[in-house]
Amino acid sequence: MAYTPQYGPGQSIVAENRRKQMNPNVKLEKIRNVTDEDIVLILGHRAPGQAYPTAHPPLAEQGEPDCPIRKIVTPTDGAKAGDRVRYIQFADSMFNAPSQPYQRTYTECYRYRGIDPGTLSGRQIVECRERDLEKISADLINTNLFDPARVGIRGATVHGHSLRLAEDGMMFDMLQRCILEGGTVKYVKDQIGTPLDKKVDVGKPMDDAWLKANTTMFHSLVGTSYRSDAEYIEYIQRIHSLRTKYGFMPVE
Amino acid sequence: MADAEFPQCRIVTERLLKPETVEKILNKLAVIPGIRRIVINGPSIPQKVPYGPARGLDNPHSGKATIRVGVTDVDLRVQVGTFLLELETRDIVSQVEEACKEVFTNFSYSVKEGKFMRSTPTQVDYAKYGPNANEIMLGLVDPKNKTGPTLIQGHK
Repeated sequence: MAYTPQYGPGQSIVAENRRKQMNPNVKLEKIRNVTDEDIVLILGHRAPGQAYPTAHPPLAEQGEPDCPIRKIVTPTDGAKAGDRVRYIQFADSMFNAPSQPYQRTYTECYRYRGIDPGTLSGRQIVECRERDLEKISADLINTNLFDPARVGIRGATVHGHSLRLAEDGMMFDMLQRCILEGGTVKYVKDQIGTPLDKKVDVGKPMDDAWLKANTTMFHSLVGTSYRSDAEYIEYIQRIHSLRTKYGFMPVE
Repeated sequence: MADAEFPQCRIVTERLLKPETVEKILNKLAVIPGIRRIVINGPSIPQKVPYGPARGLDNPHSGKATIRVGVTDVDLRVQVGTFLLELETRDIVSQVEEACKEVFTNFSYSVKEGKFMRSTPTQVDYAKYGPNANEIMLGLVDPKNKTGPTLIQGHK
């Protein structure tokens, strides 16, 4: 019988959202349309229209050694062209942001090839070849994994995910890379904090009801509480119990 | 240390405040007689980009503004989310609550009585101010910061 991954336990909406994001057979819901040029501006790795700088010659010119693994694994477009490895990093507010670091890493690992995600408590970085990165970033920004107010694209100085929101509903950012102007969020700096020549519009912040229905974070005050999901509690207690007993007697 | 212990209270807002709101609440507080000291707290907004490849660039930020409290200009260096107040008597708390009620209309806040400011010098305070530190300076500003507290004209 073929194995069907379950992706995660739980009966709550949060658990369901987590599974939906992780499952590559579920199409991510496209919400906004940030252009490729705008994404290049936010990333700040190259100027829009500039050729991709390379780290090595294209694989076709390089002359690959005879290797069975290289025959099995098709290189991604970026690897084929010899692109540099570049990154995008996100900070997700604890107030019902649609995704969160661990969730992002799982989601990306299930959905994309040739990536190197890094998971930290308040931020999540994903590294890959530059042209692959731009495609992945477009997915991560234009779909339901992103909210302009509660998610920040922050290459450095990420502090803010666990702080109270500002009066206008934006997550704190000491570099104020994006501002709320006329109801939409505009990036005025790229992800590392260098001012942009033009403002990049990433759309309207989603409302509280949407965020609560689409978040992958438990929050007892503003969202779904962890304790309300009996299956998740049972799962975590089982893991805890097995971890505790494991060294002594590795059976249930 | 002086023996006198003054009552203190802390205002915590549900949201981090815009400079305009901070100006509004501080102007309400400034006219209440009997507030000895106010500390405003929140996450820091640096003058320059502190980390990363853009380190050293200027950091334009709408939260880093100069507000006017009474007749004094105050440079905000943090996005304010907490106010610590030292009062002369406990009955002023109700007036503080009244001021908060008028200003914080779009989100909740809490006013708590307790002891929130430092009363004994730390090692860094001692290094900066010496053995005869002015008690009013303790816990008011970061002793390592070059800029001192702002004095607002009182009522006495």
